[in-house]
Amino acid sequence: MTAQSSLPQRGVLRSFLPGRGVLRSEWIKLRSVRSTYLSVLFATLVAVVLGVLATSSDASNWATMTAQDKAQFDPLGDSFIGLIFGELAFGVLGVLAISTEYRTGMIRATFSAVPQRGRVYAAKALVVGVVSLVLGMLLVFGSFFLGQAMLSSKHLEVHLGDPGVLRVVLSAGLYLFVVTMIGFGLGAILRHSAGAIAALVAMLWLAYPIGRVLDHLSYLPSRILLFNIADAITRTHAATGKPALRIPSLELAYSSLALYLVVFLALGAWRISRDA
Amino acid sequence: MIEVHELTKRYGPVKAVDRLSFAIRPGQVTGFLGPNGAGKSTTMRTILGLDTPTSGRTLVNGVAYRTIDKPLRVVGSLLDAGAVHGGRSARSHLECLAVTNDLPRSRVGKVLEQTGLSGVARKRVRGFSLGMRQRLGIAVALLGDPPILMFDEPVNGLDPEGIVWIRNLMKSLAAEGRTVFVSSHLMSEMALTADHLIVIGRGALIADTGMADFIQSSSLNDVLVRTPQSRYLADLLTAKGAQVIAAPDGGLAVTGLTTEAISQVAAANGVEVYELARRQASLEEAYMKLTDTSVQYRATDPGKRGRR
Amino acid sequence: MPEPVMMLRSGQASASAPPRRGGFLVTRGMLASEWIKLRSVRSTWLTLLCALLFVLAFGLFDTLSVTESWNTMSAADKASFDPLAEAFAGMQIGELAFGVLGVLAISVEYETGMIQTTFSAVPRRGKVFAAKAVVGGGVMLTAGLALAFVTFLGGQWMLSAKNLDVQLADPGVLRSVACTGLYLAVVGLIGYGLGALIRHTAGAISVMFAVIWLTYGATHAVEKWSYLPDRWLLVSAYQTLSRIHPQSGTSALRAPTTTMAFVELAIYLLVFLGLGAWRMSRDA
Repeated sequence: MTAQSSLPQRGVLRSFLPGRGVLRSEWIKLRSVRSTYLSVLFATLVAVVLGVLATSSDASNWATMTAQDKAQFDPLGDSFIGLIFGELAFGVLGVLAISTEYRTGMIRATFSAVPQRGRVYAAKALVVGVVSLVLGMLLVFGSFFLGQAMLSSKHLEVHLGDPGVLRVVLSAGLYLFVVTMIGFGLGAILRHSAGAIAALVAMLWLAYPIGRVLDHLSYLPSRILLFNIADAITRTHAATGKPALRIPSLELAYSSLALYLVVFLALGAWRISRDA
Repeated sequence: MIEVHELTKRYGPVKAVDRLSFAIRPGQVTGFLGPNGAGKSTTMRTILGLDTPTSGRTLVNGVAYRTIDKPLRVVGSLLDAGAVHGGRSARSHLECLAVTNDLPRSRVGKVLEQTGLSGVARKRVRGFSLGMRQRLGIAVALLGDPPILMFDEPVNGLDPEGIVWIRNLMKSLAAEGRTVFVSSHLMSEMALTADHLIVIGRGALIADTGMADFIQSSSLNDVLVRTPQSRYLADLLTAKGAQVIAAPDGGLAVTGLTTEAISQVAAANGVEVYELARRQASLEEAYMKLTDTSVQYRATDPGKRGRR
Repeated sequence: MPEPVMMLRSGQASASAPPRRGGFLVTRGMLASEWIKLRSVRSTWLTLLCALLFVLAFGLFDTLSVTESWNTMSAADKASFDPLAEAFAGMQIGELAFGVLGVLAISVEYETGMIQTTFSAVPRRGKVFAAKAVVGGGVMLTAGLALAFVTFLGGQWMLSAKNLDVQLADPGVLRSVACTGLYLAVVGLIGYGLGALIRHTAGAISVMFAVIWLTYGATHAVEKWSYLPDRWLLVSAYQTLSRIHPQSGTSALRAPTTTMAFVELAIYLLVFLGLGAWRMSRDA
């Protein structure tokens, strides 16, 4: 391969391999913006407090609950009730990790320091991904243990060793990670905080009419909505009734989650290679 | 007329402006000088009512800015040329400001023409160069045809032609009897434009004086004398009460005597003189000398570090 | 050149503090200015267009799916069928768009620094806030009502094929449609208040979304103690105001009365606009 042609054609993988310097630079960028970790911290607090509130209300009202309510009682679901705030904060973190660079024009400085845009993108994705995965796991395990401690007064708690419990807790953390990366991809695609956040929240929470519209043809569209995927992978009891039809199987849920991850990251990578 | 009385502005523990008082008179261009972080922008923002002073007050035409009913007709200002919504056209930007002060729409066309932006009036500001944005900011300042104008670093990003244009504009505005108050860090530019100077450092007033007086009073004004008998002449001049410093190249830097007096002393004593020249400090030198102790952020000069 | 305004009134000399006189009274010029600002930015129209397209598309498709499966639907499903709810299925996307519009109306001015120029033209900040709220609220109310009526007419036109449609004159229908438009404007104004409070687009949109859509997580957490917090959610207020058939079961417990729903909308408006106005009067 000649020197001239090597720039654009060099192995696609290699052009996405970030060096340690780029990684460190992205880590400093993420760490040094106070609003990012403050918002994540705040959302974490809200999520944990709500989980504690829900589980302690379960425990204190257990004696007076109807048999039907007791049958529907989900010890994990209630300790994770506040995770929606976590999802929002994590998703916004992902968006801002990249969109603010475009808004401030910082991206030009970044690209002139590291002209291989694929590497910048990969470094950013790696740093944001690892941070969100670590924080996400901390959040879900924290919520889990606190929630179960509340329930233990009435001996309603579950343990990590119980069937499916560890998988559900891990999946909740994984979901936070995927939401962050979808936000990150959207930020790279739209380059605009407001648009990307609006698109993200619409996808996460407001997209269910799309599924409902097509339900009489097929439940597949409903099943691959993020909302229902999250439901499937964080549930310990099987759902009943009509909603159950919209909830995907575990295999479908995990593979669509992986698909979301790949599609949004790839679209973002394609877009970032276009002119800034 | 702009008046600043005992103005103090504190941001937490930092005093950005410290008991600053001055008055800007109409009919001349007043330059506002000071190192970065000296409090120039804070003072201007306070005059415009954008920042509330910790103590003291600022008045334009005798009243506080925030009490003026149609302020664009009284004070025109340019603070930050970048402070424009990128998605809006230059014309819409000016229109939405004009209507708040009940200015006729015809003013918009007029200032666009005056600033040379008529051709791009309908273009979105996002695509403007820094110089074009600067012109748009000046157009906003001129919108209300105000008797008082205030510009913060107006020549930033302008090309040489633009710099000449703004210089002439400011001079003509002052000649029409308006008050023109302009801050800049470009000394050479200020020397060509301003008639009067306000110099501040660390938020406090250092000088409030005419441009000529400011340069004249600098200790850097001296007379250069070159002679083969430099030691002899130095003694003679010192005896007459002058201060003489030997320059490294063999010349003498004399202060305290005029060129005429030095020439008489030399002639009376038969001293041969090769060169006799009055040296006047530039505004930049005078300014550097004056603000030497009040610079807040100083780049360390590696060559001088050892000698300090 | 206008004559210099010399107002050497002794009483005003010490008025470096913001004056209280005529705090929120706005002039026609200020309203015109805000209208120009809103109109001259492409994202305003794009956002409204997005809202219209999504709401109409979702509403029509959802209605279509009902008419197509009507003959095979169970009696229970038929009983719970609400002809308006189907047409308004995509309304949440519309609400999101309106909220974002409200946030952008002010947050962008802070982010670009344009707010300083605005304040130097109109130094009384209360008036700037009020003028923006009046123009923004007016535009969003008009657009919201138009959106609600268009969506309603479209939905009913599709339902008329199966004679399932309702008319505006039917009990509760006009109120439901009008309240949908009103609700869109309220969401937009809450966004506006949050934009002025937070001065940061991303932050304000996130908080707006959390306040409107995610708070159910908080109220459901305490449901076993009380349904009162549920009833104070904006979405519950909208449910009450927009449904023709009253809800049943748990949903009914979460719904406020009609009067309460109106009171809640007013209080939400007051609180968020009040917070925004308070913050805007602070230094930019």
